[in-house]
Amino acid sequence: MEFRKLKELPVQVVIKQKLDDRPIVRNNRLGCSRRLVAELQDALDTCAERQRQLEQSLRVSRRLLRAWEPAETPTPEPTPGPETNEEAPSPACTPSPQDLKELELLTQALQKAVHVRKGISKAGKRDNASSLKSGSIATSATTAAAPHWASQTKLPRGTRQATRPAKGLPKPRLLSAGDQTCAGRGPLAAKPGPGLRDPQKAPSAAPQAPEAFTLKEKGTLLQLPMAFRKAASQNSCLWAQLSSTQTSDSMDATTSSKTQFLQKMQVTSGWPSSRLSAAEVEAEVGRLQKACSLLRLRMEEELTRDPKDWMQEYRGLLTLEGLQAIVGQCLHRLRELQAEESGKEVPGCHPRRPHSTVLTEVVEQQLGPWPEERPPMASLPCGGGADPTWSPQLLLYSSKQELQTLAALRLRVDMLDQQIHLEKVLMAELLPLVSMQEPLGAPQLALCRAVHSLLCEGGQRFLTILRDEPAD
Amino acid sequence: MGVWAGGVGCGRFGPHRADPGSCEGRLVQLGRKCLRSGLDGRHSHAGAAAHWAGAGGVARPARGLGAGAAEAAPARGLGAGTRRGGARSFKARAGCMGRRRHLADAAGALPEAIAALSRSLPAGPSPEIFRRAKFDRPEAAPALWRLLFRVLSLLRADRASASRAPEAQARWVKAALRAQGYPRLGLARLPEDGSQGSRELLLALAWLLAREPLPERLLAQTRVRLGDEMPVCECGALASPGQPAPRVDTAGPVDVRRLQWLMGKLRFRWRNLMASQQEQCALLGKIHAYTRGCHGDRSLGHLSVAETELLRDPEGGRQLLQRLESENARLEAALEWRRRELVFWQWMDTVLGACPPEASQPTFPPRLRGRGRRAGAWGPVAWELQALQEELQAAVGARRAAWAARVGGQGPEWSAARQAAQEAVGRELAALRQAWARGGGRAQPHRPHRLVRTEAGGPGGPGLRAAEVIGVLRSREACLEEMLCQLQEQCRQQLARLAGALPGLIWIPPPRR
Repeated sequence: MEFRKLKELPVQVVIKQKLDDRPIVRNNRLGCSRRLVAELQDALDTCAERQRQLEQSLRVSRRLLRAWEPAETPTPEPTPGPETNEEAPSPACTPSPQDLKELELLTQALQKAVHVRKGISKAGKRDNASSLKSGSIATSATTAAAPHWASQTKLPRGTRQATRPAKGLPKPRLLSAGDQTCAGRGPLAAKPGPGLRDPQKAPSAAPQAPEAFTLKEKGTLLQLPMAFRKAASQNSCLWAQLSSTQTSDSMDATTSSKTQFLQKMQVTSGWPSSRLSAAEVEAEVGRLQKACSLLRLRMEEELTRDPKDWMQEYRGLLTLEGLQAIVGQCLHRLRELQAEESGKEVPGCHPRRPHSTVLTEVVEQQLGPWPEERPPMASLPCGGGADPTWSPQLLLYSSKQELQTLAALRLRVDMLDQQIHLEKVLMAELLPLVSMQEPLGAPQLALCRAVHSLLCEGGQRFLTILRDEPAD
Repeated sequence: MGVWAGGVGCGRFGPHRADPGSCEGRLVQLGRKCLRSGLDGRHSHAGAAAHWAGAGGVARPARGLGAGAAEAAPARGLGAGTRRGGARSFKARAGCMGRRRHLADAAGALPEAIAALSRSLPAGPSPEIFRRAKFDRPEAAPALWRLLFRVLSLLRADRASASRAPEAQARWVKAALRAQGYPRLGLARLPEDGSQGSRELLLALAWLLAREPLPERLLAQTRVRLGDEMPVCECGALASPGQPAPRVDTAGPVDVRRLQWLMGKLRFRWRNLMASQQEQCALLGKIHAYTRGCHGDRSLGHLSVAETELLRDPEGGRQLLQRLESENARLEAALEWRRRELVFWQWMDTVLGACPPEASQPTFPPRLRGRGRRAGAWGPVAWELQALQEELQAAVGARRAAWAARVGGQGPEWSAARQAAQEAVGRELAALRQAWARGGGRAQPHRPHRLVRTEAGGPGGPGLRAAEVIGVLRSREACLEEMLCQLQEQCRQQLARLAGALPGLIWIPPPRR
């Protein structure tokens, strides 16, 4: 009510606009908030990206914990390995592609039917019956189709052959793919695996319900394929070697020739070497930022400490003075960097050779696209393990709660980081805005209220402003 | 090969210096003799090897002599070990043969070193391109532009630049190199259509390679991750400390209610993230528990999501295997490159020597345009430092006054104690400075760690314990909350001051939680 009343009052606010884009305020509008909106939008985008990644991994994990569908690509191969292959006679006549397609569709439909039935019926027996029934219908189809699924267009024979030992149904993998015998996995062989490949075995082998493979029940029986294991171990071995050559750094000849080369490049180049590149400046600014927060932390620590004796008091004093000196130096360095940057922008203040002017323009033209590039240096230091060393170390946890706490804390820390950053930006943008207004107009009050909530309450709560009207 | 050695021996390669005329001439003669005697070289390798000659002048006649010269090389037992059999008789021919043999060994290693380098880089061109680039041949330029673009965009993790026209790519490469501080002007002068400048591009590539271990870094970025990883380092993954790209959509002034709405939206997304994260952890815990004992590696003990997924989905597993294998190939290439790279650097010296010297521009202000964009970057840092300085000034002033009041009569032992205190504080502050002077002092828990579920009471192998990390995170959380509260308090005070200036209004703050 109050708010609306206040809003309706007309207000003329005229502020002289200066060249260094001072904010203009008209009604509730903030003239210089492009940066604010950009920052907020950035934050939103980062969150969205992270959410997207999380949802992707959630999808994968949920799918893993459900019953596993039989894979599209068939394993049965005429080798003496997994038992399912025994049933698949290789030298059947090759049906035409159309027949193959039809068979494929048929088997897929039957698979779906089996799944639906399995989903509905709880007991295994009924599953068995239904699958057997549907299986028997499709037996002739599947026995013919089974070896020929391989000739589907999406699976070239070569890769199939090569990777068959590595990939396949969960069930054959339970039989330790790669082994030529079923030793040690015999009892498992009795249980038919998921899907329709097994119904033809079901009468022959022990007729149990073709349970779908679930991680919960049979997860401990999985085994990684041999090819993968080899590749993974080779991978970690190579990484270890690479990192040891890095850290050993025994190749002095190489290092010295590299530094020599760099020096020569600098010497023979046209740029004067004293200049800092943009990346270096960014890095320095980042360091100064870090310095600022560390110094502040130390100052807080010192201020909250209660000195018990004069010695401690003295040390506290010295520390604070030392901190002050360091802050002064940092500010000085910052001003130096700023001056270096802006000083160069001023054209014509250095004596230039005629062709170098052209070159300046050429260079600056070439470097035109630079402004659109976001400097990633600030965000790169921890960019997904840019540290080129060995494979990740381990983080051991012992329970779901612990893992959840860990993840939640990480997220909270990240959120707080972002909030603090936004808070600083808001302060930098909004406080000057509010403090320079002639404060009596109504929209200014609404603005103050909004700014207060954004800055002091994270946008969650609002204060109330009452007009102190004398009751008369 | 022999011609290469000769060219090399002619003062452009390494420490050995031979008189220019004789070696070349002799080798050319030998080559011609071999040709006349009808030896058939292995053309491909012979041609390539002979072409690596350092002197431009030798290169052209070497082309014709390719077969012969290369045959002479193996005949002399130089070059690849497999061709060592053979003509020891040639050994006696030239006086500087022994030295040349060493050089030619090194020379033979160069194409292999470059081949290893290209295999370890993404989109690496063939060694032939490198050779042509040394002579600034135009046909080598496009491949090198592409390589530089690929490498730089991977380094800067810039996904948006993937699909650009070649001219745009060239411009981007120039900008990126300049931003990194590439010293040579010649690069900026190159035309962007990829028609020339391969030598300059080769130098740029070598510059990047010399500054940091490039193949390793690129490999680490695109690494195949087999485990479920959680970052442990303290870099804020969500905070964007850099200047955001200015967007042009908000053309006019912005309503503050829009800001409020955006903040609310952000809070909502946080809550969603938190909920999804909790669910994901629960699922991960289950998967890890269910696959106990399945992993070959005893220290891991269970499968990760990626590994389980590859078991469930053979097609995806095949792709993962392929990626692993190609990464292994690149790793091997990178190792080989590390072993052989010395010859490359020696060769690059010759390339640099072959360049005409650049005219120096002593008073050239090569600053980037769009400086206004970065003006904002100074703002927060300067503002914070100034605020800090003011606070410190106030604090120091107060304490100094208090101290001066206290220090009345202190004995002679006082000065010794004072000295000690000064030194101790000095050391402490120096250590503090180190924390930001180095690029990331705390490098230990910087990589993402693989999550491994273990039994609660177990001794556990090497690895970080979750409990420790939780402790660290809690303290950091407390610290950050404190900081946020302080900032908010500052704002509150300032706004209260403003409110105080307004008569006739009552400001009722919301109830504090």
